[in-house]
Amino acid sequence: MSELREIISTGNDLAAIAAVDAGCMFFGGYPITPSSEVMHTISDLLPAVGGVAIQMEDEIGGVAAAIGAAMSGVRSLTATSGPGMSLKAENLGLANMAEVPLVVVNVMRGGPSTGLPTRVAQGDINQAKNPSHGDYKSITLAAGNLAECYTEVVRAFNLADRFMTPVIVLLDETIGHMHGKAMIPTAEAVKAGIKPRKTFDGPPEEYKPYGVAQDEPAVLNPMFTGYRYHYTGLHHDADGFPTEEIETCRKLIDRLFRKVDEHRDEIELNEEYMLDDADILIIGYGSASLAIKEAINVLREEGIKAGMFRPITIWPSPEKRLEELGKKFDKILSVELNQGQYLEEIQRCMGRKDIEKLTKTNGRPFSPADIIEKVKEVF
Amino acid sequence: MSRIVMRFTGVGGQGVLLAGEIFAAAKIKAGGYGVKTATYTSQVRGGPTVVDIQLDDEEIWYPYAIDGQIDFMLSVADKSYQLFKNGVREGGTIVIDPNLVYPSEEDRKKWNIVEIPIITIAKEEVGLVLTQSVIALAIANTFMNALDEKLLIDTMLSKVPPKVHEANLKAYELGKKYALEAMNK
Repeated sequence: MSELREIISTGNDLAAIAAVDAGCMFFGGYPITPSSEVMHTISDLLPAVGGVAIQMEDEIGGVAAAIGAAMSGVRSLTATSGPGMSLKAENLGLANMAEVPLVVVNVMRGGPSTGLPTRVAQGDINQAKNPSHGDYKSITLAAGNLAECYTEVVRAFNLADRFMTPVIVLLDETIGHMHGKAMIPTAEAVKAGIKPRKTFDGPPEEYKPYGVAQDEPAVLNPMFTGYRYHYTGLHHDADGFPTEEIETCRKLIDRLFRKVDEHRDEIELNEEYMLDDADILIIGYGSASLAIKEAINVLREEGIKAGMFRPITIWPSPEKRLEELGKKFDKILSVELNQGQYLEEIQRCMGRKDIEKLTKTNGRPFSPADIIEKVKEVF
Repeated sequence: MSRIVMRFTGVGGQGVLLAGEIFAAAKIKAGGYGVKTATYTSQVRGGPTVVDIQLDDEEIWYPYAIDGQIDFMLSVADKSYQLFKNGVREGGTIVIDPNLVYPSEEDRKKWNIVEIPIITIAKEEVGLVLTQSVIALAIANTFMNALDEKLLIDTMLSKVPPKVHEANLKAYELGKKYALEAMNK
């Protein structure tokens, strides 16, 4: 992916373009601010490549249709914002349990409930970790600039097929709506990098879609290709049929965790900005990182050596790297547009409680000045 | 070139977004960086809308204009003007539509306030109210000398439907004319 192309666009449009370049052939959704442009744009793009975009009757219908399309074997997308994520939660639980690969773009706005529809927030971090009830391990990525609205959606499709699970891509209102230049891989490079989901091509009678190694995802052949199996949200056996057999139930949930946990190296992605010689570590993600970078540049002009660690893969969290950074840095500041949702994870990974925090939940973005002021105040 | 920071404000539905997109795209075409970021309310029409435009030769991280660093603002609605005027640096230029925006005497001391009846020009001289966005574009570029005019006009034409090219070219010329008149007063 060495060759890059320049594109002038918004984050939401880039997410839609990325999906199509990554081979997505189906979109099911329902418009909601601030994510609607993802649907508008992909509705233009998909028919041209033989794909289908459907505006369903509501958010639940949107994700249900996307899951159905994914079951049939195509790459499938839905996009929404917080209130829509809440409605989609039950079906996301089904997709996690039945191991249906799917990409869900959540352009975060102020919440809870209808909250602040047109304003930025990062309040859906905990929700992304476990959107529905039940025990499983989800994968969540967070775009921190325009280019990543493209690259992370592409990566999400490849991860969804690799791990046979929904992958959530978090944008936020700022990133989704900002309009500028992005340097992104060419469509050809993205197409060349597509890794389709595994399929079983042996005799149909030997096919055991859920009968896989404990650290591997189900192997789900596309429907209607001669391989019969059963989809269910109930605990299920190697064929997908419901069971309450003790060991099978234990192993199923264990596997939903281990297929992600034991392959973190394939999932984790972080950015480290001016960290090598830094005295102060600032941790942030999504649009907050844009203000952090600008703040770091100003602080460094004043002789204050700050650097940033930015998780791009939010869940599973970069446990090891955070632990290392917690030992290396004395002065740590966590910056996020919520009351400290990821801070709790940082504290857990670092085994430390003495981490300073800067939070904001009034629908307004951080300005670089907010961060500069906080750094000077606490360190 | 050092960073140019501009802010366009109006109310939802007036179409202030387009000028920002054109500025950003033209600067990027010229090999630099341009970012446009809009902030609006959940009120679809009539809510205060602000568009921040930053142009630079260096990469721009933070997408919003920083209060106190804005060189130029243009406003076609009083409630947006009142809400966002304080972002403009002292001595900066604020172009207002005098039929819609009512600055105080103190405002006139603090900033270079220029009155151009943008909406009236669009309606009566161009004959197409939607062209106010391009009039605003021309005014901003004339005051700020931000970008090469031909590049800006070409970019503008690439973003509006061909059937209104002529009207928008006329709008650009009028915006420039009024801006030059105001500057030479």
